[in-house]
Amino acid sequence: MYLALDSHEKEIANAAVTFLGKEFPLERLHGEHRDSNRLSEFSKLGWLGLSAPDSVGGSGLSIVEEMLFFLEMGRIAGPVGVLTQILAVAAAQSEPDTCRRLINGEAQVALVVEQDSQGKIRLVGDDNAGYALAVSPRSATLFELDISACREVPCLDRSVKMYVGADSALKPVVQRPGDEVWLKAQIDVSAMMIGIAERALNMIVAYAKERQTFGRPIGAYQAVRHPCADMAVRIEVARCQLFFAATAMKEGQADAAMQIDAARLVAERAARENTDSNIQLHGGIGVTDEFSAHLLLKRANLLWRLLGSSKINMKSLLEPGGEVTKERG
Amino acid sequence: MDLKYSEEDAAFRDRARAWLKDNIPRESRPAHGDAIARFDRDWQRKLHEHGWAGLNWPREYGGLGLSEVQQVIWYEECARAGAPNYINTTYIALMHAGPTVIACGTEEQKKYHLPRILSGESLWCQGFSEPNAGSDLASLKTTGVVEGDQLVVNGTKMWTTDGQFADYQELLIRTTHGSERHKGLTWVICDMRTPGITVQPIRTMMGDEHVNTTFYDNVRIPLSNVVGELGSGWKTAMSTLAFERGTGFIGDQLALYERVNQAIVLAGKTRLEDGTFAIDDSAISGRLALIKADTMAIRSMTLAQISEIQQGSNPGPKGSIMKLMVTSTSKALSHLVAEMIGWTFMEYNDNKNDYPLTYDYLWSWVYTIAGGTSEIQREIIADQLLELPRAR
Repeated sequence: MYLALDSHEKEIANAAVTFLGKEFPLERLHGEHRDSNRLSEFSKLGWLGLSAPDSVGGSGLSIVEEMLFFLEMGRIAGPVGVLTQILAVAAAQSEPDTCRRLINGEAQVALVVEQDSQGKIRLVGDDNAGYALAVSPRSATLFELDISACREVPCLDRSVKMYVGADSALKPVVQRPGDEVWLKAQIDVSAMMIGIAERALNMIVAYAKERQTFGRPIGAYQAVRHPCADMAVRIEVARCQLFFAATAMKEGQADAAMQIDAARLVAERAARENTDSNIQLHGGIGVTDEFSAHLLLKRANLLWRLLGSSKINMKSLLEPGGEVTKERG
Repeated sequence: MDLKYSEEDAAFRDRARAWLKDNIPRESRPAHGDAIARFDRDWQRKLHEHGWAGLNWPREYGGLGLSEVQQVIWYEECARAGAPNYINTTYIALMHAGPTVIACGTEEQKKYHLPRILSGESLWCQGFSEPNAGSDLASLKTTGVVEGDQLVVNGTKMWTTDGQFADYQELLIRTTHGSERHKGLTWVICDMRTPGITVQPIRTMMGDEHVNTTFYDNVRIPLSNVVGELGSGWKTAMSTLAFERGTGFIGDQLALYERVNQAIVLAGKTRLEDGTFAIDDSAISGRLALIKADTMAIRSMTLAQISEIQQGSNPGPKGSIMKLMVTSTSKALSHLVAEMIGWTFMEYNDNKNDYPLTYDYLWSWVYTIAGGTSEIQREIIADQLLELPRAR
């Protein structure tokens, strides 16, 4: 029983920090510039095949290392396309050729984020995506995608492109039954939400040390200190639960899916409330376009919608636990 | 990271589970009077006789010297079996005073007090807070003046939990005349039978009397009872508080898990005013699911903290994160249950055993205030973890 990073896990986390921290400053997201997926950069360093088996050109690492990578991806509000690509590799694992093309970035994938009973679909991805991925608790399906049949709609998070269309634009290629890809997706997105929550805390703590009002740095006032402390609490709680959940999935523990459900709920709360507090505690500068706080808020909004409402995560948590043996006295 | 228990740990769990199953008291703990202390002493004596006392104490002082993982296993099994809560009249002795005497005491103090604590023979209380020194403990004013080989103590202590039952007190007093703040304090063992001590109960809003005001009128304490150096009591006191914020509440953290599961069962059979089951009400189930998620996260945080302790790091401000989280989640849970049960909540007779759900609701504020208020915990996080500028 050991729930802290070992030296190998620290190494992976550090490698992610070195690459992403240097190459992806938040400033890149300002103005009209979109953050292209830059898949080739991720592919070149092997990140797209992080947890794919060696046989298809992957690194064969576990969901724990994948989670550590996505924590860092969250901190830099990294390209969402990288997540879609990594999940698509997992969905297509029975087709080595497709996997290889996904890992080297040759085949690009958009994520189906909404699909209603009338056949309307919504996608988050790039205009050169030739594939689409749909993930649910029952299965993960990779489709061929005719993106020209879809209409681009503007997105609040300007770093991604969003499309709406009809499911006739999708042609199934390969389906992986079961919840494996869904659970991976939950962990990866939770990790990114925690990363965003951490970035928000770092932003306000730096500002609180520097910005003066009434002759003091605002970080000396309890009206600022205490909300910052609460931000730190939300992060620590979510991080520990995510570490537990990812390890439970890696080890195939019986309650892994429920642990992941809990991780999603607390990670979502951290992203939601920390990106809010960050703007509020900054005051006026917090709502300007020039400053980066709104980028975190918008990305957080994207992330907590990406896999549908977290209501789906509540069901397992409300099952009566087996441990009830005696009324409390 | 690794969630698997070693064979040794799994065997320990089996042994603990089997023993608890056969040995936990059949009757519940009394709510009032001396019977409370009798119940706690009996349970501690039984634990001691069967080799389960002093889980976290070193072996050389009669403890079990268990690894943190095995401590967690023990508390999980206690919660699972419904064993008596270890936060009782033996708590200060076992979790504060004993560890402090082990860390800073003389050989004589250790030899006399430690075995009596382990066996449940002596109960201890704490004498730290005062009417004007709670969150700001360093402003305390109770004085001790050296006269020959004695300290003569005068002043008032407050919130003395279980002071009416205690044989000894860990007492923090100002022994250097005119000293300020953390300087000039002394941590001393006070025999509660010494003439000049008056213990006056404070009735709480729960209707019980678990806390007291303690008055000292020329109370004479031998200098040989000082633990650590005369005048360096702050250092001695901090060794206990750091302990409490580190692993001292592990059992409570894990017991919360059982409480949430019981609340889920309750929500499945409790009907709201409109006739629906509470669990089917989306407002209630949403809150309950989040409380369950927080409770699981608290368990993960407990395991993460003990893993970090194994790496040799001090929990430090993470202990404050833990206290904030455990107490606020516990509060959210008892308040949700109070809402769920409607008018039944209003039935209350000041007896915890008759109406535990109403009692838990009222107790929730004790929890977020005692042992360092939530506000003080946020200050510690802001200072030590975030390193924000200080106004104090």
